[in-house]
Amino acid sequence: MLGLALPGTSWAHRLPAGAKLAALALVVLVLLPVAHPLPLLGAAGLVALLYATLGPRALAAGARMLRPLLWFVGVILLYHLAVGEALLGAVISLRILVLVGLANLVTLTTPLTEITAVAERLFGPLRHLGLNPRAPALAIALFLRFVPVLQTRAGALAEAWRARSPRRAGPRILVPMMLGTLDDAEHVAEALRARGGVAAGKDRPEGGTKWNAI
Amino acid sequence: MERNLTLVALFAAIIVVLGFMPSFSLVSGVPISAQSLGVMLAGTVLGSKRGAAAAALVVLVALIGLPVLAGGRGGLGVLAGPTVGFLLGWIPAAYVAGLVTERWQGGHPLLVAISGAVLGGIVVMYACGTLGMMAVLQKGPIEAMLLNLPFIPGDLIKATIAGFLTREVWRARPALRAGV
Amino acid sequence: MGAELQDVALVREGRPVFAGLSLRLDERRIGLVGRNGSGKSTLLRLIAGLQAPDGGTVRVAGADLARDRRAAIRSVGILFQNPDHQIIFPTVEEELAFGLEQLGQPRAEARAAVAALLAGQGLTAWVGRSTSSLSQGQRQLLCLLAVLAMKPGLLLLDEPYTGLDMPTALRLQRRLAGLDQQVILATHQPETLAGFDRVIWLEAGQVAMDGAAGPVLEAYRAEMERLAGAAGC
Repeated sequence: MLGLALPGTSWAHRLPAGAKLAALALVVLVLLPVAHPLPLLGAAGLVALLYATLGPRALAAGARMLRPLLWFVGVILLYHLAVGEALLGAVISLRILVLVGLANLVTLTTPLTEITAVAERLFGPLRHLGLNPRAPALAIALFLRFVPVLQTRAGALAEAWRARSPRRAGPRILVPMMLGTLDDAEHVAEALRARGGVAAGKDRPEGGTKWNAI
Repeated sequence: MERNLTLVALFAAIIVVLGFMPSFSLVSGVPISAQSLGVMLAGTVLGSKRGAAAAALVVLVALIGLPVLAGGRGGLGVLAGPTVGFLLGWIPAAYVAGLVTERWQGGHPLLVAISGAVLGGIVVMYACGTLGMMAVLQKGPIEAMLLNLPFIPGDLIKATIAGFLTREVWRARPALRAGV
Repeated sequence: MGAELQDVALVREGRPVFAGLSLRLDERRIGLVGRNGSGKSTLLRLIAGLQAPDGGTVRVAGADLARDRRAAIRSVGILFQNPDHQIIFPTVEEELAFGLEQLGQPRAEARAAVAALLAGQGLTAWVGRSTSSLSQGQRQLLCLLAVLAMKPGLLLLDEPYTGLDMPTALRLQRRLAGLDQQVILATHQPETLAGFDRVIWLEAGQVAMDGAAGPVLEAYRAEMERLAGAAGC
């Protein structure tokens, strides 16, 4: 599965992931109490400018990621206009667009390997809870491996349905899909155990996980 | 250990694949995304801990920047939108759905499954979703709830479907009903 | 029943699968051979109407099955490779009755027809059984019966012998030989096409050879052996 991050070596790509996340958190804290649309409009302009410095592809990707929100924002604006709180509506809408846009900017300019390294560091303390810190990485790898497998299975079941029914497949096909997946899980677990199991990696020196699956 | 890990990872994959499927179009003709159905099922079929872990895995994968949410959405931006509560709410929702089915062993399977799906997938989910909306939209609880109201009938249908599907899975795999 | 493809073109993921494919399929037993990836499965799907062509026409008994799904399930039955990807219901009865109900039969009538069907096959013991309790071969048979219950005029089979042990495969072969409907069977095992009228050899979406079973299969076998001996296979 392709990650959302855009390939490239822009200034934003070269910033360390941790720094970008910290900056994002800071911006959130700063913008939250703002109660007037004008500074937010300025912020929106700045965010658009940041996207622009990354090129047309980034602008297109950013716009595409914001599209599902537009419906929401429209409703919010209309609602507030109707109840006579247009200013508040503008503030809320702009804030959503600025924060989502900025957060997406981080996602677009941070390769998966980098952001997962940050996530792994955050998961480090799990060790003290008795949970294996390698588990999330392994789980993600398994997840990525099986999404296309399950898609194929879902497609096959839907097709088998359509071969006997003029209608599209209904939720019923989720039963054989779940059962098949549960069985797969047993086999994969066995294969894992045969190769040493989850615990086997615990004693290896920390140095990042091999993201071969991505 | 390995079995729990693979069950969690693979069910997370189910939740995501459900997001890729064209939305089931139900009685009212309103298209309804199947992804939250997957979250309810994760809880009722895998139990509270594994179900919550599966939901958490999907959330994590979405946040690190993979387009796994319905509609190809993903990335950190989802945390700043109005539906953030619904997304993060997947985790407690799956947990409670599973908890109901684990604790209520004696009841009629269909009733237990639907109750789990409703309590987890609707009550808890909407509570979290409403909290999220309150924060992002600066609204009080009642206003935020009103905004969510139109989606409840669709989700009730989903919870019922989840109940039926879960019962079928339990029939085929009795060990899961016992929480194994 | 008769199927006809005229100038069919299909593109998948940017690559052409078929281009200018024209075939008249009237013979009673037609075999489709070819290596993995030659397009056999896709061709069967086109005929069944599960896949619409990007260009040209595909008709079965004159109807465009990709558009008319009701006519499709009445005239064509298709059996896929893996029974686990086809069985949708937990009990044998439900699985067999599904197609009949989709054809419009009321539930009671469908169930009665299913009981009769099972009795006719000597499988009354299957009434009430769960589909997951069946063996691999039994599940394969269930899928076949589910499709035959809808009485299609044309039966398409996509590599049905995959994974079956010898007695099960022979049993399936015998069953197919006794069927009234037209059968088109895709396989990469030429020995399962004994007694077929016509064999089409597909190679990368094109017809490499098309004619009587004997000569085509001989040429196919020779080519497969040659490829096995060639370097870098």
